[in-house]
Amino acid sequence: MTATPINFQMNLTAPATKAAGQGMEVADSLNGAKAIVARGVEMVFQNGAQKFYGLKDINLDVNRGDIQLLMGPSGSGKTTLLSILGGILTPSAGSVCLLGQDLTRLNRSQLANFRLHNIGFIFQEFNLFPALSVVENVEIALEMKGTKGKAARREALHLLDQVGLADRAQKHPRDLSGGQKQRVAIARALAGNPQIIMADEPTASLDSQSGHAVINLLRKLAKESGRTVLMVTHDPRIIDVADRVTYLEDGMLQNSSAAVTHQLSA
Amino acid sequence: MASIARKNLFEDIPRLLVAQAGIMFAVSLVTIQTGILNGFTRSTGILIDRSEADIWVANQDMVGLELTLPISAAFLQQAQQIEGVQRAEALLLSGGTWRSPQGKITSVRLFGFDSAGTLFKPFEVTQGNLAELKQPYTVITDATNLDSLDVTQVGEAATIGSLSVKLVGLTTDVQSIASGTFLFSSLENAKAYATGNRTANLNCRMQNEEFQCTNVYQQSAGANPASLQPMPLTSTDAISYVLIQAEPGQDLQELKQKLEAALPDTRAYTRNEMAARTRNYWVQRTGIGFILGLGATVGIIVGMVIVGQILYSSVADHLKEFATLKAMGVPDRVVYGIIIQQALLMSILGYIPSLGLCIGLGAWTFATQGITILVTPIAAAGIFGITVFMCVGSALFAIQKVTRVDPAIVFKS
Repeated sequence: MTATPINFQMNLTAPATKAAGQGMEVADSLNGAKAIVARGVEMVFQNGAQKFYGLKDINLDVNRGDIQLLMGPSGSGKTTLLSILGGILTPSAGSVCLLGQDLTRLNRSQLANFRLHNIGFIFQEFNLFPALSVVENVEIALEMKGTKGKAARREALHLLDQVGLADRAQKHPRDLSGGQKQRVAIARALAGNPQIIMADEPTASLDSQSGHAVINLLRKLAKESGRTVLMVTHDPRIIDVADRVTYLEDGMLQNSSAAVTHQLSA
Repeated sequence: MASIARKNLFEDIPRLLVAQAGIMFAVSLVTIQTGILNGFTRSTGILIDRSEADIWVANQDMVGLELTLPISAAFLQQAQQIEGVQRAEALLLSGGTWRSPQGKITSVRLFGFDSAGTLFKPFEVTQGNLAELKQPYTVITDATNLDSLDVTQVGEAATIGSLSVKLVGLTTDVQSIASGTFLFSSLENAKAYATGNRTANLNCRMQNEEFQCTNVYQQSAGANPASLQPMPLTSTDAISYVLIQAEPGQDLQELKQKLEAALPDTRAYTRNEMAARTRNYWVQRTGIGFILGLGATVGIIVGMVIVGQILYSSVADHLKEFATLKAMGVPDRVVYGIIIQQALLMSILGYIPSLGLCIGLGAWTFATQGITILVTPIAAAGIFGITVFMCVGSALFAIQKVTRVDPAIVFKS
């Protein structure tokens, strides 16, 4: 699987950042072995004259096709890291390479274009459009990504069928349970067939049964299609389906780079 | 594609109605204020617009239709002798105080014209008969003036000064918003009301090498003016205007020059020039035009503020949705397009009922007060433009909020 072509030049050199000394690993990413490579990522927040680190010296690899969890206590910087890896926030220092593309080399609109075609987002609060029907919520994402008219409607219905909600296509989000809303959000995230799915606490607003359903759905979709899933969660149930788990505390990955990830499955 | 803008608008109907009520108020405010200004401007020159005169000859110091100095009635005869003049008629303006049978008084402005002529008939008689103006001490007026004259119907009598007056007809749509109550009568009757039915004698003499003439009004000893018949206009009388109909094909500018040369101390104006001069007087030289213009300007500003607040609030309510689109990678121009589309929809939904409301209100004020809230097609198009400008301008202001929104807020619960 390759990144959807976009109209900017691919970065084929190691990023000229703090991570420049780790060019070998970046090269791995460029060669396609890694879906996500972060090197020396820092996020500094400033409050008046006072500076503090939201993230410090983050080095992280995520293999293609893996389900990777980001775990840690509240305030540890998980969501900030997810925002940076998803190209929504720009780090204060360091480099982030997704699907071989160095995001730190892209301008704002190029980043938006990259996100649109390569990343599907799932949010804790679902973030569906309440005025649109279920099928329109998925359809609108497809339309934004270039699939138009009847093809978009057909594809939207297909995606809803994949998440088991084809029969709810004409309903509005207000008519759905929390679990069903999250399944719609998953269908929307899959629109345009992105290679990376980034999810922020996808089960946090769900009851146990709905949470399980969403977890199983994410695992099925990841494994069947070979997508990379990066997920921020507090939910220990998800550890069972993850390939790797990374712990974050006080803005830093625990221990050394080699030890921060916990291999759960071979 | 599903229209997020349209669906967002119609998702919450009560909220939409409240927002549209605000926009309707703003649009109505603009429409009414500009409509009153336009109606006022139109009404001040309507008698001139509707006259058949190609040229109006006035005293050289004339400022507007109702603010002028007298000229000699002899100019009427002289004007008729000028080449290029097909017809000339006199118009005599005077003022007075109307006293109703119940004793209520009101200020009136009397227009004396040749009721058998063709150049000054700016109205249609809706009740009564124009021919009755030939009777002594008769007038007609606009139907909306009945209340201010404290009479209820044609045939009722009152007094102007010391002379009796009888209402013999009603007209419509000729009352100026700014002026006193307009009355229309024959030249003879107007002269009688202007002079108190006294006889005018013109005394002229040389003084300090200047030729000076003075009108002297005399009353026969022992005669009761009210018992006398109004007298025809003579060359020694004073009139206000000479209305000129040019011969077909006559160059009006050339004829104006001939008239001004032949009639000393006068200026000649084409109908459009005369109307423009009168409107200019009311709109620019009196405070009325300024106040109404200020009202219209304030209406537009207040309207923009209201619409701006509504749209800003609407954008704020959907901010997380816009942030979600931005986080997904949807280009800013698409997000802004949604907001502008919403603004355009709101402007159309606000404009159409507002215009209907104002036209209805205008019909009511015209029927009951004789005050026109004038919404011409050009004004309607202009107000639509202002409405779109207000809404889209407000949307562009609201877009600043979306521009600054951090797409990372989508991760905050």
